[in-house]
Amino acid sequence: MAVTTYSGAEQYNFDIVKKFAVMSLVWAVIGMFVGVYIASELAWPFLNFDSPYFSFGRFRPVHTTSVIFGFGGSALFATSYYVVQRTCQTRLISDGMASFTFWGWMAIIVLADISYVLGYTQAREYAEMEWPIDILIEVVWVTYLILFVGTIMRRKQPHIYVANWFYLAFILATALLHTFNNLAMPIDLFSMKSYSLFAGTQDAMTQWWYGHNAVGFFLTAAFLGMMYYFVPKQAGRPIYSYRLSIVHFWALSFMYMWVGAHHLHWTALPDWTSGLAAAFSILLLMPSWGGMINGIMTLSGAWDKLRTDPVMRFMIVALSFYGMSTFEGPMMSLKEVNALSHYTDWTVGHVHSGALGWVAMISFGSLYHMMPKLWDTKIYSNRLVEAHFWLATIGIVLYIVAMWISGITQGLMWRSFDEFGNLQYSFVESVVAMMPFYAMRAIGGMFFLTGTVLMTYNMFMTIRQGKRESAALDAKMAAKMAHA
Amino acid sequence: MSEQKLQSQTVQTTGHAWDGDLQEYNNPLPVWWVYTFYATVIFSLIYWTIYPSWPLGKGWIGGVSNITYVNSAGETKTHSWNTRALLVADMNQAAVAQKPYFDKIQAMSYEQIAKDPEMSGFILSAGRSLFAENCAACHQAGGQGVVGFFPNLTDDDWLYGGSYEKVHETLMGGRRGYMPAFGEVLNGEQIDQLANYVASLSGIEHDAAKAGAGDMLFHSETAACFYCHTAGATGRQDIGAPNLTDNIWLWADVPAAGTAEGKVAAIRSVINNGLNKGVMPAWSGRLSPEQIKVLAVYVHELGGGQ
Repeated sequence: MAVTTYSGAEQYNFDIVKKFAVMSLVWAVIGMFVGVYIASELAWPFLNFDSPYFSFGRFRPVHTTSVIFGFGGSALFATSYYVVQRTCQTRLISDGMASFTFWGWMAIIVLADISYVLGYTQAREYAEMEWPIDILIEVVWVTYLILFVGTIMRRKQPHIYVANWFYLAFILATALLHTFNNLAMPIDLFSMKSYSLFAGTQDAMTQWWYGHNAVGFFLTAAFLGMMYYFVPKQAGRPIYSYRLSIVHFWALSFMYMWVGAHHLHWTALPDWTSGLAAAFSILLLMPSWGGMINGIMTLSGAWDKLRTDPVMRFMIVALSFYGMSTFEGPMMSLKEVNALSHYTDWTVGHVHSGALGWVAMISFGSLYHMMPKLWDTKIYSNRLVEAHFWLATIGIVLYIVAMWISGITQGLMWRSFDEFGNLQYSFVESVVAMMPFYAMRAIGGMFFLTGTVLMTYNMFMTIRQGKRESAALDAKMAAKMAHA
Repeated sequence: MSEQKLQSQTVQTTGHAWDGDLQEYNNPLPVWWVYTFYATVIFSLIYWTIYPSWPLGKGWIGGVSNITYVNSAGETKTHSWNTRALLVADMNQAAVAQKPYFDKIQAMSYEQIAKDPEMSGFILSAGRSLFAENCAACHQAGGQGVVGFFPNLTDDDWLYGGSYEKVHETLMGGRRGYMPAFGEVLNGEQIDQLANYVASLSGIEHDAAKAGAGDMLFHSETAACFYCHTAGATGRQDIGAPNLTDNIWLWADVPAAGTAEGKVAAIRSVINNGLNKGVMPAWSGRLSPEQIKVLAVYVHELGGGQ
């Protein structure tokens, strides 16, 4: 056994996978801490300390960039490099390029976070990085694409495994989205400030075409790729339906591109544009659920694993939240529902049921599966995994419930008229009404963060244990050799 | 377990294996999944029929649902569904409820409005809403103001007058308070004397000798405070010069100062630096005459109307 994994380490570039896996946990802790901090600022504003550097406006992109691109992105780099090598039975085509994507990606997150705190932003949600960082992203991403495609082309397997289709769709779509949304003209070669090439509603439309497809391809397709490898691996069972995976892959890829405009209901965007997007969002429901069905049905017949295997539980809960938020999303994209939900905390709750429930939980599950294998050992403590699972689940539920209540309350307060035809509440009264829910949300976030810290400790100990075991093995081998 | 056996007997895998044990069954698409997808297709087609959907040439397919609204010229219009028409239609609804009251208000005097029990409910509702959206950002939700920045509207101390007419005038045209910086013409000792005198007028602990000198200075041509604040220091509402004898403070944050020295220092700072921030914007262009009338009554009723 030890011999095969040893040769495996020769056969595959696992060094890059290890680096990204570790950094994904580091960014998770940083990003989620900042998230808890800004959630607390909303509940207890003194935390702003009257300083621009601590303000919500600057910390918010630090949070989103660190969790989406730092934590999520690193987890995707790690798992995609792991999966593509193992399912193609070939080593990444270039160690140098792999290493470049690692250092490049880390530099991007660090530079982005620092520039936000200093006040530099394009003011485009999830694309706040200013132009010099955007160029660096472009270079790193194209390298990633070449590396990934090149590795698939050198595969020793006749067929390309489904997880790789999803990863490839994610890499391709992200390259496209990033390029077009960040077309901008710097005001000076030595200035961070730039202006978008688009104006007015076109600018908004481009931004949300990007924004929603970032959700679709970065936060959905890519993590489905993760799911398609790690769920059957952890369950020890074949994927439920190959046919379903093909149909929902193409349906998902086709539909997602149309739906961005549902973020711009009730704005200056032409009504037909967002109406078209709303119906496409409904059409997207079943293609999204295809992935959930395939994941959950893969486990059917091995349900007992849910009782015995805490890692499996992360994956199933992730799929459940995926199903729930991909149902909630299309509902919110209907004009009439959106009239209530738009600009409220409901949206924030929705995105977190996807981000915490789906993205983070499936990443945790996959990392728990992969990291012990990378260091050729077992998980240091299954009880800590168990504790992490409950902390994370309780945290998500607190978060989402708080945002549902506060979002719907806000929506109802803003639109309510009294019998005289006057607005019943002022805006600030709705802010006051939010206070208990903001506190509840911050507490939910603290639960989730605590779970992540436990996992980081657990994985740190797992790595140490793995290193100690392999050192002991080496010593034993050396002793035997000397004896012989 | 039997179910599992059944499945493995009837459903084949695709025959490929990756990474050792990764395989795929080739189960057919779940029937309910397929039919639900068809249902969403039908839903979308209906949605596209109701609302504006596909672009067509230079226009777009408008959809079958219509919105009827009354435009600003009073004409009734019907248009295929769109956000702007819907907003106007919604606002029409609110306007219908408001109209009988606003119509009455237009014809009534302030005194009549204040005495009419039927109007009091409307004034409370509309005034509160207008105040919250337009005034509360500075004067605070209850009209209590912020010492050092924005006047309190709930007491009976008025810079420009608290009658209906004066409040109305303030709302329509806005106000701009100004006091020169005496640090440019007087020395520190003189300003200290003046501050002690002003403190003495409100019964605040002070240095009597300095206050005496300040009294002289106040009424002299050197400082000339009495020009605006009057010889009795009771102020002039026609130019917004505050009464200095009532122990009510807007600019100098006297209440917040813990010690007598602190209180005098707060007054000294205002005399030294002067004031150029007492700006209230004009609302005549932003609110309708009836809305301003409602606000005038509402502010008058906040407590200090004269």
